[in-house]
Amino acid sequence: MSATSGAKGARVRPARTSRRWSALGVILIFAGWEFAARLMGPMLMATPLEALRAIGVLAGDPGFWTHSLDSLARIAMGVGAGCGIGFTLGVLAGHDARLRGLLEPLRWLLMAIPPVVVVVLAMLWFGLGSGMVIFITVLMMAPGMYVNTVKGMRMIDAGLLEMGRVYHFGTWARLRHLYLPALAAPLTAALLIAACGGVRLVVMAEVLGAESGVGYALANARSTFDSGRLYAWVLLILGLVALLEFLLLQPVQRRLTRWQEPSHA
Amino acid sequence: MLEMRDLSLAFGPRPVLDGIRLDVRPGERIGVIGPSGAGKSTLLRLAAGLLHPDSGSCRNTFPRTRLVFQEPRLLPWRSVADNLDIALRAGGVPGDRIAARRDRWLARVELADAARAWPGELSGGMAQRAALARALALEPDLLLLDEPFSALDPALRADLGRLCAEQARATGAALICISHQPWELAGLVDRILCVAGGRIREQAVPSGRPDESAAEAPPDRPAGA
Repeated sequence: MSATSGAKGARVRPARTSRRWSALGVILIFAGWEFAARLMGPMLMATPLEALRAIGVLAGDPGFWTHSLDSLARIAMGVGAGCGIGFTLGVLAGHDARLRGLLEPLRWLLMAIPPVVVVVLAMLWFGLGSGMVIFITVLMMAPGMYVNTVKGMRMIDAGLLEMGRVYHFGTWARLRHLYLPALAAPLTAALLIAACGGVRLVVMAEVLGAESGVGYALANARSTFDSGRLYAWVLLILGLVALLEFLLLQPVQRRLTRWQEPSHA
Repeated sequence: MLEMRDLSLAFGPRPVLDGIRLDVRPGERIGVIGPSGAGKSTLLRLAAGLLHPDSGSCRNTFPRTRLVFQEPRLLPWRSVADNLDIALRAGGVPGDRIAARRDRWLARVELADAARAWPGELSGGMAQRAALARALALEPDLLLLDEPFSALDPALRADLGRLCAEQARATGAALICISHQPWELAGLVDRILCVAGGRIREQAVPSGRPDESAAEAPPDRPAGA
């Protein structure tokens, strides 16, 4: 009577992504880059080795840290505030059909409008600088998080919510033990998209209208035809996205959804 | 005390309960039987405060009412032990007593070895025992059982029924148990109500011991009626 049965846990799951093949994919991308760089010449495209060398030069430049820290702060504030607003409104709208109806046109508007249009408008409203970049990032990140939260809220097992009522779960207990774990999978997926999208958006906004940051440095490198420096920044941006995804968000996602793995006991 | 007065409820055009009158006092143990769709579960959900009547009144003054559902309804992302801890904390049990009470009840339902397991790793019977331990650990003064043993084998049903009855007797708790099988209620309850067509049709004293003929009896004719 007390032996643990694995019957329910023994689900057929798709095979995990092969790391070996992923590594091969990376090598192929670098090989393709090398081939294209040789074809186009150093003026238009630096080779991977030249870009790596340029990173070393960049790291010694005092402006490098200023630009990097400015961008990181904008990413953190923009993505953090965008996700926070999207999640909070999503939880509220998940509870209240009237609020959901009220927010639906705004959600549609923000998801349909091209980001570059928002950048142009924000430049008019806020001028150049951090305020504009953060505003755009918040505006573009919040809808994705909102949609995922609302969808997740509507898919929460009604039986568990009823159990929470019978067992007198307070607001905090409901949020911590019912909503957040139930929303973990869609939320971490949304956070992954938001964080990676947020980096791209901040860089784009900085290219178009900022006086510091990685995007600004990228635009400078382009205007001086310094392809080594330009591709060095590209590599650094990719490195940042990789850090966010593989070292932060994916481990968080795995931890939050580990109860779905077949065996943990 | 639980008082239901002329209580009626309909889901859309379909009346589910119609003019129910029922009193449940502390220490009373009541079985409810009836055909599927008769309104048995609705009656319990009203008692638990999960539903409100269209007319009439339902007054529940038992401060610690707990319902054990047909399905275990354990949090799948928490271990068995955590499921009990969370319910105990939400139920106002002081933090320094939670672990001892959880361990005692897991041992009583023979799940001490599965305390760290995830609910998804348990068999149906084990999960239902964990759900029962979660309810009983809170020492409810009104325990509502919505056919929680229906998917279990007969020996386990009898064990868990006995456990509920012992606990109710020991604490003076009231108990309402729904079942399709009148013989399941023997030893667990003092009287049986037969619900059919949304009304309480008959009341009976449960028969002393389970037998095949009682198990085969039509659900609207309680054993011993």
